[in-house]
Amino acid sequence: MNYALVPSIEHDLAACPAISEEAKLLKLRAEQLLADYYKPLSTRWANPTIRFSDLKEEWERETAMLSSINEIAMHPAYQQIIGIGPVAVSLILYEMSKKPNHWFWALKSITGEDPVPSRAKGNIGEMTEAWLNWGREQRYLR
Amino acid sequence: MPTLVELFPNLQEKGYDLTSPETPFYNCIAWAAGDTSRWWWPDYNDQYYWPPAIPRYENLQAFILLFKNMGYSVCEDTEYEDCFEKIAIYVDDLTGKPTHAARQVAYGRWTSKLGSLVDIEHDINGVSGRRYGSIAAIMKRPKA
Repeated sequence: MNYALVPSIEHDLAACPAISEEAKLLKLRAEQLLADYYKPLSTRWANPTIRFSDLKEEWERETAMLSSINEIAMHPAYQQIIGIGPVAVSLILYEMSKKPNHWFWALKSITGEDPVPSRAKGNIGEMTEAWLNWGREQRYLR
Repeated sequence: MPTLVELFPNLQEKGYDLTSPETPFYNCIAWAAGDTSRWWWPDYNDQYYWPPAIPRYENLQAFILLFKNMGYSVCEDTEYEDCFEKIAIYVDDLTGKPTHAARQVAYGRWTSKLGSLVDIEHDINGVSGRRYGSIAAIMKRPKA
């Protein structure tokens, strides 16, 4: 699907000197409806890469301000990423290699492994490196 | 990504100052404890840092014990006192679970690391609300 064909309402809003919160919400909702109309979620989500990307974006947007790992990992989008299963491992590791984030819970849940040494608990850099090395050893990453 | 004021509407009233770029390498508890190398949390999966001497529970008592272990004791007020460092622990209004900690800095302002986002300096009530709930404990210790 060529998304360039999806009509944009950006122009109309950009012309407004002041945009209310309601207008922003309506704009978001309208964009979502247009995107769903031109390419339904059921079709998009048949592709695990697109599904992962949509869920990751939602999870990051809604948990970036949180400190509680339990709350971060229990977010519905994160749980759905875990639900994708082994296919998600490569996608998560690739994402981690670009930008460290709290993927450790998901990786442990999907793989049953935890390559992070006890002394590195909480050290995001070392935890990330341990998982990336594990991913290379297991041939999830090149 | 929503703006900080969208996330924490109370920041609008008295403003805030950005004091660091975004980083996922440490969180508010680590920041309140003066550690920028680790993410501190008593997660169920036992993957993150939590001092071994402190019960690994996500409740206010465990968080108070955490800071007691660093020389803090519970106090009543948030007023700035020259000889003391203060921290505030926030809990979710519904569940009572800890959500956040802030540390007092000069002039009575407070510094907070907002999850994986930025550090800011703000008014004591700046980050209260839907995301972090309310302050449940204030603690202080003599300045070194």
